Amino acid sequence: MIDVEQMSKSFDGTRALDGFTLHVGTGELFGLVGPNGAGKTTLMKVLSTLLPMDSGTAQIDGLNVNGQAREIKRRIGYLPDQPGVYQDMSVREFLEFFADAFQLTGARQRAAVERALERSSLTDRSRNSVEQLSFGMKQRLVLAKTLLHDPKVLLLDEPATGLDPLARIELREQLKQLQAEGITMLISSHILSDLEDICTQIALIGSGRNATDAEGRSVLQLRAPQAPVRIYEIDVLGDSAPAVAVVNSTAGARTLETSAGRLVVEIAGADEQVAALLRTLVVGGVNILRFDHRTLGLEERYRMVFREGRP
Amino acid sequence: MIRKELRQRMRERRGWLLPSLYLVVLGAVVTFAYFLTTTERGATGIQGSTVGVVLFLTLAYSQLALLLMLVPIFSAGSITIEKEQRTLASLLTSLLTSGQIWWGKFVSSLLFVLLLLVTSLPVLSMAFAFGGIGPWEVFSATLTTIIILACMSAIGLYCSSAFQRSVHATAVSYATVVAISVVTAIAFFVRLTMYESAHRQATVGHSWYDIPLSIRAPMYVNPFFFLTASFAPPKQLYPAWSTCACVFITLGALAIVLTLRNLRRRAEV
Repeated sequence: MIDVEQMSKSFDGTRALDGFTLHVGTGELFGLVGPNGAGKTTLMKVLSTLLPMDSGTAQIDGLNVNGQAREIKRRIGYLPDQPGVYQDMSVREFLEFFADAFQLTGARQRAAVERALERSSLTDRSRNSVEQLSFGMKQRLVLAKTLLHDPKVLLLDEPATGLDPLARIELREQLKQLQAEGITMLISSHILSDLEDICTQIALIGSGRNATDAEGRSVLQLRAPQAPVRIYEIDVLGDSAPAVAVVNSTAGARTLETSAGRLVVEIAGADEQVAALLRTLVVGGVNILRFDHRTLGLEERYRMVFREGRP
Repeated sequence: MIRKELRQRMRERRGWLLPSLYLVVLGAVVTFAYFLTTTERGATGIQGSTVGVVLFLTLAYSQLALLLMLVPIFSAGSITIEKEQRTLASLLTSLLTSGQIWWGKFVSSLLFVLLLLVTSLPVLSMAFAFGGIGPWEVFSATLTTIIILACMSAIGLYCSSAFQRSVHATAVSYATVVAISVVTAIAFFVRLTMYESAHRQATVGHSWYDIPLSIRAPMYVNPFFFLTASFAPPKQLYPAWSTCACVFITLGALAIVLTLRNLRRRAEV
């Protein structure tokens, strides 16, 4: 549904996107993570036709983003990172205005507005001024506005920023519901726990390029079964320095973190490598108290990719 | 777009405050002009038509000056407010074209200024009551004022598309108003004085067209000269009016092209 190939975009000589590639399948809820300045917002703006790209290709639903902007706009709903509202309009007026802007008229407009009010749970407040709504309600209203014309694809740039925990939970549920309705979504966010909860896959972006984890993956599978991540926690008796030396001298193994009596170790390869490392540690005289496989959460995987500066 | 803009404008406090202030100031100026005219000439010797002409001219120039001061308020903040409240991205990703967005902003800002022009009709009727003014004068002065205001609205919108903040766009719009209204007049009079003292010929000043074009040129972008040209008998100053109209329409068209280019770039959204 979304196909980006070698996309590049520069601003005054600074490369915001540098050959970024991304493929999002139909109906997926796809996350996009990376540090500030990684190029997430630029990617969203290019896909939403707000910015032209310098080179590369981008297609949404088979349409070229650069050349078929008007058709693209019919298919996408874009929620900017800091969405604005017209404070002096009523909730209904706000929705009617954007329904007009998407060329929805007459009965279609009324139906779309009623549906948007229901989706945002603002039916009771439709006559209220937008100014009177809480931040979370405004965010719901803007998301409902984004859905007015029934887009096939949603581009959501930091949709949960500034929301309180309850509003974030509601947003997650709403996004899951939209996915169930068949809408494809690309979401950039810094709130990794939210992405982990709702996304099927997550793309890593750093310095405008596809970032990769230790195993060379630029897209992390969150829902589909995947190869085990071979990270182990090892508790040792006494000084951990000898254990670190053994780990780092073993082929395919390296120490990620060290603290008093504890190591976090990354092991590349199959079970044989894990067994070999354990044997080497024991033979090397390390007193092992615990040797435990650890499944990494998104937060930890993110930290490993971006703290180590591995774009 | 136009409906949304007008609705928003009329809900603002300035939607009723500015027309009220405008009428108060205009009424005060015309009243002052009336008393000044009748007092100077004496209550018995004055012709009613003279009073009518004086009131009409006072009204036309005061009205233009006031509206030139108000135009940047309505136009220069028009697009920057969308940037400030972060709604421009939503507009640009809707099916509205850049041209439709511009047209909505332009029409609403111009309509509001035209509303002020219409509200001054009761004041204008005072001039009619004295005579000396015909429909042609009113028509040509009104048409000229509308051309000037449309051009200034287009320039205000250009400033609005070029800057991120309303305060900057408004400041540059006002600078433009001052440049074309005051700086051009100063440049004209300074150069005319220098020319007259250099040539010491009696021909200068007899006719507008005796003045070299290089000296006259700045006045063709001066809105008050443009308005003055509209009062002259057609044969005498009609070419000047046409030239001014062409200059203002060209300036306005240029501003439109540049505004649309800025809206299509969208990089600052």
